[in-house]
Amino acid sequence: MGSIMTWTFIVSVTLYAVAVGSFFRQLFRGGNRPAFWAALSLGLGAVAHAAFVVAIVIHDGPSTFEQLHAILAAGSLLLTGIYLATMRRYRLTMLGAFITPVTMFMLLAAGIGARAAHVTSGVRSALLPFHIIVNTLGIVAFALAFAVAIAYMIQEQRLRQRELTGIFQRLPALDTLDSLGLRLTTIGFSLSTIGVLTGSLWVVRTGPGHVQFSPGQGFAILSWLFFATVLLFRAVAGWRGRRAAQGTVLGFLCAMAALVGYVTRGLGAS
Amino acid sequence: MSRELVVAGLSYRTAPVSVRERVAVKPDEVADVLERLAENVDLPEAVLVSTCNRVELIAATREPHVLADRLNQEFRDRSGSDEVDSCMYRHVGADAAEHLFRVSAGLDSMVLGEPQILGQVKTSFGQAQTLGTVGTLLQRCFDRAFKVAKRIRTETDVAAGNVSVSSIACELAEKIFGHLNDRKVLLIGAGEMSEVAARSLASRGARLAVINRNTKRAEELAATCNGVARPLEALATELADADVVISSTSKAGFVITQELMQSVCKLRRWRPLFVIDIAVPRDVDPRVDSLRNVFVYDMDDLGKVSRENLAARERALKDAEHILALELAEFERWRRSQQLTPTIVALRAHVRSTLRKELQKTLPKLSVADGDLKVLERMCDTMANQLLHAPLTELKRAGDDQTIVEHVQQLFQLETATDESGAKRPLEVAGVSSLPQLVAGQAQPRKA
Repeated sequence: MGSIMTWTFIVSVTLYAVAVGSFFRQLFRGGNRPAFWAALSLGLGAVAHAAFVVAIVIHDGPSTFEQLHAILAAGSLLLTGIYLATMRRYRLTMLGAFITPVTMFMLLAAGIGARAAHVTSGVRSALLPFHIIVNTLGIVAFALAFAVAIAYMIQEQRLRQRELTGIFQRLPALDTLDSLGLRLTTIGFSLSTIGVLTGSLWVVRTGPGHVQFSPGQGFAILSWLFFATVLLFRAVAGWRGRRAAQGTVLGFLCAMAALVGYVTRGLGAS
Repeated sequence: MSRELVVAGLSYRTAPVSVRERVAVKPDEVADVLERLAENVDLPEAVLVSTCNRVELIAATREPHVLADRLNQEFRDRSGSDEVDSCMYRHVGADAAEHLFRVSAGLDSMVLGEPQILGQVKTSFGQAQTLGTVGTLLQRCFDRAFKVAKRIRTETDVAAGNVSVSSIACELAEKIFGHLNDRKVLLIGAGEMSEVAARSLASRGARLAVINRNTKRAEELAATCNGVARPLEALATELADADVVISSTSKAGFVITQELMQSVCKLRRWRPLFVIDIAVPRDVDPRVDSLRNVFVYDMDDLGKVSRENLAARERALKDAEHILALELAEFERWRRSQQLTPTIVALRAHVRSTLRKELQKTLPKLSVADGDLKVLERMCDTMANQLLHAPLTELKRAGDDQTIVEHVQQLFQLETATDESGAKRPLEVAGVSSLPQLVAGQAQPRKA
């Protein structure tokens, strides 16, 4: 089973890398062929990725989703799945250039953190899976919002610089990106808030002695605060466009830093 | 002689507008013109394309030059002068297909890559289909032309980016707002250029408000675009409500200052605003462009975009030519195969017929059970296929060489006829359709 996990991991990362290359080629050079190869390699990568997740579950059992590497693997698969399902319908093909690298990063983190420490029986709780699932979904929504924010900043910069060929022609309209970003941030923030609440409740119920505060948790709270600020200022101060996009990017980077913190802590514990 | 594809006509490249406007054919005249052209000329398939930049006949005929001369005469009659003679061009065979592909893809247009021509060609083709003047050759040729146009549009930048001020304004507005349906466009001043841009935006579903010093002119313009005229005093209120502003007054000094826009931005809670300043001297303070979510484009910016788009289109021309060459080669392969197919079919039929005739002679001497007849029939077909495999492979390989095809026809004494689409087809070889019929004495030689 270990070799199946290794191979499916290598194949999916390789295919995602091909997809990233193809998406960027299409973004900068245009044409239908790179888009086709990007979609194909991303689709096949998702199949290999799904096999990787299944192999993890078979290997470690359903309780594996209490561990970070499994969450990352499943979360990044969900991200790819949502993107593949919506890219054509909402004409967001070019966002793949920003979403696929995030997916690849999350999968790589899953691979690296595959030997992270198991959750000890002392801190197991029914709240834990729920906490993990909502946080994972929240990260997926933030990842999509991040991709949308990057696309927005590129589009806006091109419009300001009067460079209206190439990438500008291939990315969606500014307002579309802005409203999509708002929607995704709201979804991600709601899920993340539930995650924070359930996490806090879990800590209270488990007892402070079992859970140690880590930089990862600090970044997670910082990320939550960034997204809270973005949404608050959108509502009260008319934050739109670039400022909202910048806030989203910062919030997502904090979320990623939190993930890195968890992964490295897991490695240290193994 | 098989039917050839021909394109004859005149365009902006060969004829001035004074000639083009006289020979232009209105949609309701097309049927009559085609009827006149078809008098004593083989014209089973024809499509007439008439736009402001070209009037062309695309046809399949055995007499391409006679038809082109007839069209020349028609144009002379319509224009009332022989000035058209020097404006006419004609393309036959592969050249005609290439010309049609170029035209459909906008590569022969006044503005390189412009998309309107494809719609016009499609409309003309649709009209010809309604009139029943489209057969196999033109159907295939136009299908391919539309495919070429689509490929060039999607796979190259030859049609990317607009080059006229009104189109650029619309494109940019759509790139900011996604769609213009129910977006509000504010027109400040009622200059001709801003009117064109406003009409273009209004045709995409935008609502229009016009502010002009001359109220009557504002009302006139608003009425033509289903908009409303507003007084100059309502400028700040209208700016707060607008999504796109087109300014083209002749006023000295800025109409929209940074201070005004700053206060307006607060009112509009920093919603995106696209301002097109086509006035010279400028109506909008350039510092307005630095405000959050406000994008100001003046004439220089629009001119720069236009030049860059045109340059990008010209750079993409090489890719477009490559696609065109590939698709043309594909079409020509199909056309040649249409000429070769009758010979192959005739040769196969000839061999099968010979084998069956021999079997027919032999059968009375044998006592063959019903069940075995099918086996014998299959054996005949298999023998024919095996015998012909190598010659047919060679024949297909030599598809370009008409001499070899003719030699094969002579060697096997094959006869071919021409069907309604102009493609040659074999005369059906007198033979037996099935061996059971033959045994039962029901076989009747099929008539050619």
